[in-house]
Amino acid sequence: MNTNTSSWLSRNKWILILMGIPILAGAWWTFRPEKLFIDQRVHEAAPAALSSEPEALYTGKLEGKLHQTSGRATIYKTADGKEYLRLSDFTTSNGPDVHVLLVRAEDQALDQEIVKGELDNVELGTLKGNQGDQNYDLPSSVDLNKYQAVAIYCERFHAIFGVAHMEKF
Amino acid sequence: MVRTIKAGLAFTALAVAFLLQPPVHAEDNMKQDSMKQDDMKQDKMQDGKMMRDGKAKTLETGKFHGKVHVTSGRATVYQQADGKLVLRLTNFKTSNGPDVHVILVATMDAMDDANFLKDNVEKVELGKLKGNEGDQNYEIPVGTDLTKFWTVSIYCERFNANFGAAPLEKF
Repeated sequence: MNTNTSSWLSRNKWILILMGIPILAGAWWTFRPEKLFIDQRVHEAAPAALSSEPEALYTGKLEGKLHQTSGRATIYKTADGKEYLRLSDFTTSNGPDVHVLLVRAEDQALDQEIVKGELDNVELGTLKGNQGDQNYDLPSSVDLNKYQAVAIYCERFHAIFGVAHMEKF
Repeated sequence: MVRTIKAGLAFTALAVAFLLQPPVHAEDNMKQDSMKQDDMKQDKMQDGKMMRDGKAKTLETGKFHGKVHVTSGRATVYQQADGKLVLRLTNFKTSNGPDVHVILVATMDAMDDANFLKDNVEKVELGKLKGNEGDQNYEIPVGTDLTKFWTVSIYCERFNANFGAAPLEKF
């Protein structure tokens, strides 16, 4: 029996090989397994019209804490190297002594609505308006690797109105 | 008695004034280096192209997710100064594969390995994936309704599998 099978194989070896090649080729073309190991890297420039625009570095959506807050916070870098925070489609509640702060994203204090104790922050200024698009200049020394969240913060009552956790754009 | 009424009136007036405080509305424009913009205008004139005066705008953005074929990065839709829509992938990485395309699908999001063909989801083809790593741009066909197509998908046409998806949100 065994000898029979091997003899059949040896007799039809060439037919099997000839049939096998296109099957293997077809399977290779379908699955392209080598692509699992080969990377194809591209690096296109931003659309031409955008190159002179301020470049977005980080962005995140605002979420309400103590008061309903919505909109988007984005940090831009202008062509001359200055950085600023822009709030767009922004709405929060009006209030006394409200400031815009950069805070550490992993800060435990952001879990609460009322901050007890110190809040490690970079002050960007008093809130210009509780609605609408607005810009805040960043101090040139600010470390954006450390401060990646924006807080709308009422200094008087230590209340966090809203927070945006930003991510790399 | 009169004093109490007066005090009460004063208090009411104060309360009304406090309640009627109008919301403060701010309207900052995007910052622009004025020098730069002059340069740009000159460039435009030199090119001799009639460009609409509108600036390029960022319309939507979203982050990629995908676990079966690890996919990460950001997808952003820009409107160029001439009105054309461009999808740009940044910090992008996915697995390489055969016949991979970038498409817009008319869903809010897409699960890993979703089969849009079977599920009869409307889609807009943006072209073959230029590379499985790196920044890249894709033109969005004129007339594409972005209020309908909310998700970018890296889609393997041959196996009808979604490698990764980025649900877009208003920027």
